[in-house]
Amino acid sequence: MSDTTAATAVFDALVGHDMGPYFATPCGVLAPLLAQLQERADYHVVAREDNAVGMAAGVALTGGTATVLMQNSGFGQSVNALASLVVPYRIPMLLIISMRGTPPDPTPENLAMGRLTEPILDGLGIEHHYLSAGRANDQIRDARRTVVEKRHSHALLVRPDEFDWEA
Amino acid sequence: MTVVPFDKSTAIAEILATAPGIPTVFTTGFASRVAASLDDRPNHFYMTGSMGLALALGTGVAMASQQPTIVVDGDGSLLMNPATLLAVGTAPDLPLVHIVLDDGLYASTGGQPTPGRHAHLAGLATASGYQSVCEANNPSALRARLTTALDVPSAVFIHCPVQPDATPPRRRVTPDLPGVAMRFSQYVRGAAA
Repeated sequence: MSDTTAATAVFDALVGHDMGPYFATPCGVLAPLLAQLQERADYHVVAREDNAVGMAAGVALTGGTATVLMQNSGFGQSVNALASLVVPYRIPMLLIISMRGTPPDPTPENLAMGRLTEPILDGLGIEHHYLSAGRANDQIRDARRTVVEKRHSHALLVRPDEFDWEA
Repeated sequence: MTVVPFDKSTAIAEILATAPGIPTVFTTGFASRVAASLDDRPNHFYMTGSMGLALALGTGVAMASQQPTIVVDGDGSLLMNPATLLAVGTAPDLPLVHIVLDDGLYASTGGQPTPGRHAHLAGLATASGYQSVCEANNPSALRARLTTALDVPSAVFIHCPVQPDATPPRRRVTPDLPGVAMRFSQYVRGAAA
């Protein structure tokens, strides 16, 4: 799939399963997806990832679903928000996290977070899977079930080249 | 006439009396403990950890519910995460009242001074896009400002210079945090229905 086709598949799945509002933070890997989401009225750009998590938590408390889109560097910024708010208060949300510092991204400033993202999610008890644009509809349908019915947060991890990003 | 000091507990008591049914998020530390001690109500959300995140949470509640929502913040919490001011200031028609109880101290961690005395908190709010910024430095002014703010259809920042409480609140918030979230959520959903 081209970057636009892959991003469209994920966009269609998110919108089709009513996963908004969307709280987004800057990410080059997710850029093709963000470009489509940002046309929506329920798309919000947030300056820091932990604040995006906090705002999504507020939405969840009103009974809505919410999705946070971030790079794993920003996941690092969000660990305390997840550890001391989302997990202990059991406030569910969908996290879409791009995996900088994993192949084919060799940038040294991202390698440590590339190694740490999955172990930290495991430590938080947040289930995670790699997003595949070709299976996005099924994956996001399942994620919605986890968030809405089980009331657990769920993370979908995005490989650096899922939308054709290049280092 | 005895002059009652305008301390954090006095301010919180005034907020509870003025807006007893409004969904209210209390920031980490003594603000949550004071509120829970004074009157533990279902419209209260106590942020026990995540210092600096009460405003983001309240913003999400106000945004999704479109109902008036109060955040009781502190100078230490706001200064830990001032970027949230931008999320509020750039959101149009957000029915949020952001009250900052500014005692100049990290009260719950032993009373160390915050760097707040060198910052103009109301100016930060204005610069971040809040359309309405005011100050309340006694209980009746707080009551008046809050009452007015609840009718304003966009975010209002109320800066409250307060004295530190002479004695710390008695008890910690319940350890049943999922229960806090569930009770608050049910209240907000009921109020919005």
